[in-house]
Amino acid sequence: MKLFSLLLLAFITVKSYAVTVTIADLDQQAVANAVVWLTPLQPLESKVRPNQSFTMSQKDRQFTPHVLVVEQNAEVEFPNLDSIMHHVYSFSKSKSFELKLYREQPKAPITFEQTGVVELGCNIHDWMLGYIVVVDSPFYGITNEQGKLSFDAPSGDYTLNVWHEGFNDISLTESQRVKIADTALQYQLKQQLIPRIMLGVDEFDEY
Amino acid sequence: MNIRILLILTLLTLTTHASAQVKGLLQLSAIKGDSQPSWQEGGVGLYRYDSDTDGIVLSQGLIDFRADLSSAWSAHGVINAHQDPEPSLGVSQAYLQYKPLTRSNYKWHVRAGGFYPLLSLENPDMGWISPYNYTNSAINSWIGEEVRTLGVEATIKRPGRSFNSKHSFTFVGATFKGNDPAGTLLAWRGFALHDRQTTFNEAIAFAPVASLNTPQLQWQANQVLPFEEVDGRFGYYAGVHWDYLKKSQFRFYYYDNNGDPAALNHSTGQYAWDTRFASAAWLYKFNAKTRLITQVMSGNTAMGEARGVDNDFYSHFILLSHKMAAHRLSVRYDYFEVTDKDDWAFDPNASHGEGITATWRYQLTPQWQLGIEGSALHSHADNRATMGITEKISQQQISLNAQWRF
Repeated sequence: MKLFSLLLLAFITVKSYAVTVTIADLDQQAVANAVVWLTPLQPLESKVRPNQSFTMSQKDRQFTPHVLVVEQNAEVEFPNLDSIMHHVYSFSKSKSFELKLYREQPKAPITFEQTGVVELGCNIHDWMLGYIVVVDSPFYGITNEQGKLSFDAPSGDYTLNVWHEGFNDISLTESQRVKIADTALQYQLKQQLIPRIMLGVDEFDEY
Repeated sequence: MNIRILLILTLLTLTTHASAQVKGLLQLSAIKGDSQPSWQEGGVGLYRYDSDTDGIVLSQGLIDFRADLSSAWSAHGVINAHQDPEPSLGVSQAYLQYKPLTRSNYKWHVRAGGFYPLLSLENPDMGWISPYNYTNSAINSWIGEEVRTLGVEATIKRPGRSFNSKHSFTFVGATFKGNDPAGTLLAWRGFALHDRQTTFNEAIAFAPVASLNTPQLQWQANQVLPFEEVDGRFGYYAGVHWDYLKKSQFRFYYYDNNGDPAALNHSTGQYAWDTRFASAAWLYKFNAKTRLITQVMSGNTAMGEARGVDNDFYSHFILLSHKMAAHRLSVRYDYFEVTDKDDWAFDPNASHGEGITATWRYQLTPQWQLGIEGSALHSHADNRATMGITEKISQQQISLNAQWRF
């Protein structure tokens, strides 16, 4: 407890920045929906954070949200908001699982212990596609339409990690060492993004 | 009957099990039927109801269930309650499905049992009913009454998702027993417009056609048991689906029951008809609200040792449906014809007709839906004269419908 109080004290004394990260593509255009996280290179004062609950819903025969970022060991619930059943699965290395989700019959949440990209599918609705990106940092988020994302991070050295579903190999990330000593960070992707096909579906499309 | 009780008991056992999905639907209709008696009552009318059934009827009553036996195996079934022509409880679909999770970019599954070939884009709602018109197109009225697969079907799919493509392709192949008498109704009644699906082991009546009193047709019963096995031969069908972003959905099927037209079951009065057809269906969404569905079917059916009854059949429909908030308006035009190719002059089979059906549905709550439908058709059948009925008839049917689902 004493140690914890000391660490907490140390944390308060470290200067924190409201950092804005901007992600651009090879043509210097803003990249929306990029997952960005900062992995600290120096030991970080452990901060007690409330247990966050995450949800990856199935709504209107799609995964909602399409991309979810969670911290390692997070629990994710998979509520089925449709009136029909779903059979959600992943074959991804960081988490392989399957869940049969009947309407109004919630299942226990799933814990994502390993970092990496989890690609979700549905064995009944084969167009459904979603991602859960499991990261080893509390500093993460998804870029907005302007390619921007903000979070508070203490000053220091970090690895800036970026992932986008348009990556050629979605199991890989791009990363770069950065120093947080300022409030703005720019990052340009090293690869061309592949535009992903999204389907508009309705209740009669599964027949 | 014992099999039905067993099935219902199985269903009840399954519903108590957590890994099952049970859905159901009840539809009550207030009917203003045509004066021409329905084929179900031995008439020549082409609608499900007639003025004798005016009043409130249970037009659909079904339970649609899926029970998961393992990750890949599931059991599916549809139980239907009908009031017409007689109160009955039956099973219209019952099959096992094996659909394994696979890492492969290609997905596949197998169905075994009794089910529909998925050639219709008009009947995607639970229990193979239509969310558009209450009265099905001539093509799918016939599929619902005389076509069912009692066999094994394998499907392999190339989903666009796996290839980041706008196009998805599905290839289907099946082989089956039964379904030998399919074609009987087309010969002696012609196409009809209705939503009365035949359950397994059910018989469908038709008008007392005069030619059944001739020596050549003396063994033919005045009803059809469409799913019966008569000749011991396997039939087959093959199909392909091509979807573009789900905005355009195309399906082509070729079906051949491989019937031996000389085969006859004396005790049930059923022949094996050599029935084959091609069906092409297309759904196109102009936008999220408005869609077009069209289907064309062309085939041939024949029975008797020397193909004494030999008919070509053809039908198409065009359906436009528009959804506005809780309202859906659907209008459909049908054309249908049967061409008599044989030289048995005592048994005329030619018939043709067209119909227009307009339906408005209002979704009151997720459970309750109200709707009204008007349908009109005129038809011409050469064999009506021999029964003392005018060859050409015009008919109308109006229905008010309340549907409840869970």
